[in-house]
Order: sequence, then C-alpha cells, then structure tokens
Amino acid sequence: MIRRRTALFALLSAFGGALSVPGARAAAVDDLLRRYVEQGAANFSAEAGEQFFDRAFVEAKGGEPRKCSLCHTTDLKRTGKHATTGKAIEPLAPSVNPKRLTDVRDIEKWLTRNCKWTLGRECTPQEKGDVLMMIKGR
Amino acid sequence: MQTSTAPDVTKPHSVRRVRIWDLPTRLFHWLLVAAFAAQWLTQDDARLLDYHVFAGYTIGALLLFRVLWGFVGTRYARFKSFAFGPKMGLQHLRALLAGCHERHLGHNPAGTWSIFGLLALGLITVATGVLTLGGAKQLGPLRGLIGYPRGDMLALVHKYLAWSMLLLVALHVLGVLLASRAERENLTASMVIGTKHSTTTFDGVPAAAPLALVLLLVVAAGAWAYFRGYVDSRPDHPYLPFTLAPLMQNGMWKKECAGCHLDYHPSILPARSWNTLLREQHEHFGEDLGLDDSSVTTLQQYALSQPAESHVTPLAWKIDSTTPAQETPLRVTETGYWKRRHEDLSTADWNRTKRFACDGCHLDAAAGIFLPGAIHVRTPVTTVETNK
Repeated sequence: MIRRRTALFALLSAFGGALSVPGARAAAVDDLLRRYVEQGAANFSAEAGEQFFDRAFVEAKGGEPRKCSLCHTTDLKRTGKHATTGKAIEPLAPSVNPKRLTDVRDIEKWLTRNCKWTLGRECTPQEKGDVLMMIKGR
Repeated sequence: MQTSTAPDVTKPHSVRRVRIWDLPTRLFHWLLVAAFAAQWLTQDDARLLDYHVFAGYTIGALLLFRVLWGFVGTRYARFKSFAFGPKMGLQHLRALLAGCHERHLGHNPAGTWSIFGLLALGLITVATGVLTLGGAKQLGPLRGLIGYPRGDMLALVHKYLAWSMLLLVALHVLGVLLASRAERENLTASMVIGTKHSTTTFDGVPAAAPLALVLLLVVAAGAWAYFRGYVDSRPDHPYLPFTLAPLMQNGMWKKECAGCHLDYHPSILPARSWNTLLREQHEHFGEDLGLDDSSVTTLQQYALSQPAESHVTPLAWKIDSTTPAQETPLRVTETGYWKRRHEDLSTADWNRTKRFACDGCHLDAAAGIFLPGAIHVRTPVTTVETNK
C-alpha cells in the first residue's frame, strides 16, 4: 500500500517536473529579456545571436582568436569542450538538455564569466538578448 | 673435471636417490621465491600496491606455515634437523671454502643461518609492511593503529628490511652454488625434485602430497578472494582495490568548480592555497569567476573544513607534510610531492590523458580520495559522456 502510494507520488512529481521545466525556462528568459530592454536593448534576433556566437574576438595578451563556439561548437545540440581544461560541456540546446535556461542567476553568471573570457569585456544587453533568443530556439 | 664426467662408476654401488625435501617444503620454497620476486617488481609503485600487499600476505602465510612445519614436518623439514649453532655454521663455511667439509643430507650448518635468517627477517618485514599500510595509507587490517608520521617512518624500516632480505637471499644462492660445486650435486634441482644422492640406509621422507595440495589451494583461494573484484570490473564501474569512507562534499563547490574542470577536493591543497585562490577569483587562471561574496564565503568555509591539513586522505597528509610552509601552490601539479610521484610517467601515458585532469588516471579523483590501486590510464573515449 505504502509502496503504491510512493510510486504514485513519484510518478506525479516526475510529471509535474516535466511540465514545469519549459515553464521555468520561458519565465527565466522572459525575465532576462525584460531586463535587457530596460537597459536599452531592443528587437532581439536569433540570427544576430547566431552570428555573434561564431564571431572571433582577438585576445589582447596572447593574440589568439576566441569565440563562443570555440568551446560550445556551432551545433548547440552537441557536447562542447572547455578550451583550457578540456572538460566536456553539456549541450546548450534546451531541446536536448532541458536544464538549460531555467535559472536566471545561473544564466547571468555564465554570460558574465564567459563574455569576459571570450570578448575581454562584458557583453552588451543586446548581445546577451540575441544569444538567448538563439539558444532558446535550439 | 675429468673425474666428474663419469661419477657413477666411481661411486659405491649402494648409492641411490632418496627424497629429502617433502612436497610442502618445496612448494613453500618456490612460492616464496615467486612472491618475493613479485615484491621487487611491485615495490614503490602505487598502481600495483594491491598486488604488493597480496604478495606480502602470501609471504606471511607461507612463513607461518614453514614455522609450523618446522616443528611437525618431515625429518629434514624440522628445525631439529638443522639446529646448528652459529659457530658450527662458521666452521662449515670455512671447511666448504677449504674443500674439506662434511656432507649433510639436509640443510648444512651454514645454510641453516640463511634459513633462520630469512624466516625471521621475512616475518618482521611482513609485519612492518602491514603496519606501514595501516599507518602511511591508513588501509588494511592494522589501519589506524599508528598515525601517518610513524607510518612513513616504518615504510623506511620496511624498505631496509627488504634490502637485508635480498642480501641474505643473495648469500643463500651463493652458498647453494658453492655447496653444489663442492658436493657435485645440483642442490637447486634437489629443491625442485626433492631427492639427493645418499649412501646411507635412510629411505627418504614421505612426499606429504595432500598437504602440499592444501597449501596450494589455500594460496589460490586467497588470490581469488583478494582479486575477484577485477573479474566484475566494468569501465563505467571500475573495481577499486582500496576504498575510504566517502568524504564530505558540498553542492555549491561541485556546481561552481565542476562547471569548468574537475571539482578538485579541498584536501589536495593547503588552506593557504584555497584562501589565495578564492581571494584571487577574478584572476582565476585567466578567467574572472565573478562569484558574489556569499558564494565565496560558502566555498571558503567548505574548503577550510577539510584542506590538506585535515589529513582526511593519505594524499592530504603527503601534500601537507611535504609542502614547505612558505610555498602556496595554486595547482596540485606545483607541489613537490606531485612532481615526484609523476616524474617517471611516460610521454605516451601523458598524451593519452592530457585532455583530462587527475581523473584521466585516478578513478577516485572526483571523490577526492586518490588511493593507490585506483590508477588506470583512461582512454579519452570512455570519459567524455561520464562528465556530469
């Protein structure tokens, strides 16, 4: 009896979890895009995000080109690879990795950290919004 | 040399071969030789420690059997048959070199001393080995009996004892060769087939074959019990010969560190290293981690709860005790201990694993444990998917 109730509970919570992930993603991305608009950005475009993702930025000290796709590859459904440590990076595309884009703090942290490494500066709200639009659709 | 070409003609008619060494004694001897050789092949290599430990247990068991057999065994296996004093041993040695020694069917008075010496030294070496394992690695049946510092000290004693044993083995072999020449009998072969030439009326000792079979089965069963984990080992669930209780983990540490690299356990670096790393988080090996203050505090609390100084693993003890206080290594690969332990790795092994961190070889690296025995060079294909 108890086991059946536990199984039912597990089933329901798994179902609920599955439902809530896309919801959380939509909320997190909408929240961030709204913030970027408040900061002056507008008309977010997935195409612009895609171009930005593969654009090379020359690193100031070493001179080597860096770009988002260096680690994440251009196919966001694939596993990436950290450029310096070699550690595998789980796919960014929510269609294959549903955990992506569900936590505002997490998204902001990675955007800040990775923009600084790749571009040598923080990304503009416009750049961040374009990239989010692009990732969201993958 | 002229006379030795046809020795049978010159010998009395009554000469015959009789069994001097029973089968358990011979089996003991050659198993001991094999296990002792294994010890020299596996010594001081963390990857092979479980083999070294098993060979050590085997030597201990063999020696204990031999001591027992020295009281209840067949005639020439008994200590009574070769209980010669040191003075007699010296006399025999002198006579042997002068070419006028007395022949003994069993052990001669000089050989006696390598037998008793090896038995005693062997037992002490095994005992110090088990104590070393219990102290320096905190593993095995005597773990915790002594601390790390004494364990490291005993490791040295263990090493010197082993070298003394090797020296005694060399003397033993030399003695056997000398005596073989003097007696015109291959004494090494006698230890294999068990018989020697005799002109006495003694009919030889029984073979005691069933006991030898038991001895062999016990060693084989021990090996099976000790190594059976390797049989069930799978690439995604490898067998680890040594384990510790899981160390304390921290969710934020795992999330923040493992996002980019292996979540190195705090115990692999001293507290001062973690303080510096967290203080300099905006210049973290070329990346700005951008952690907020509360995250830094949480991470710092966790790091300082079990840094190398906490000695939660043998590695932690080694890092702490070998890193000079004025050094603040920011990578474990900057420590002298790490460099020493990895200096003889081949370039091929490094190339195969260079896209990994410690977990390219240390199967328990993510758990922070780094025990000997859990070291296998991984091939890149198997680990990419396991990175979660």
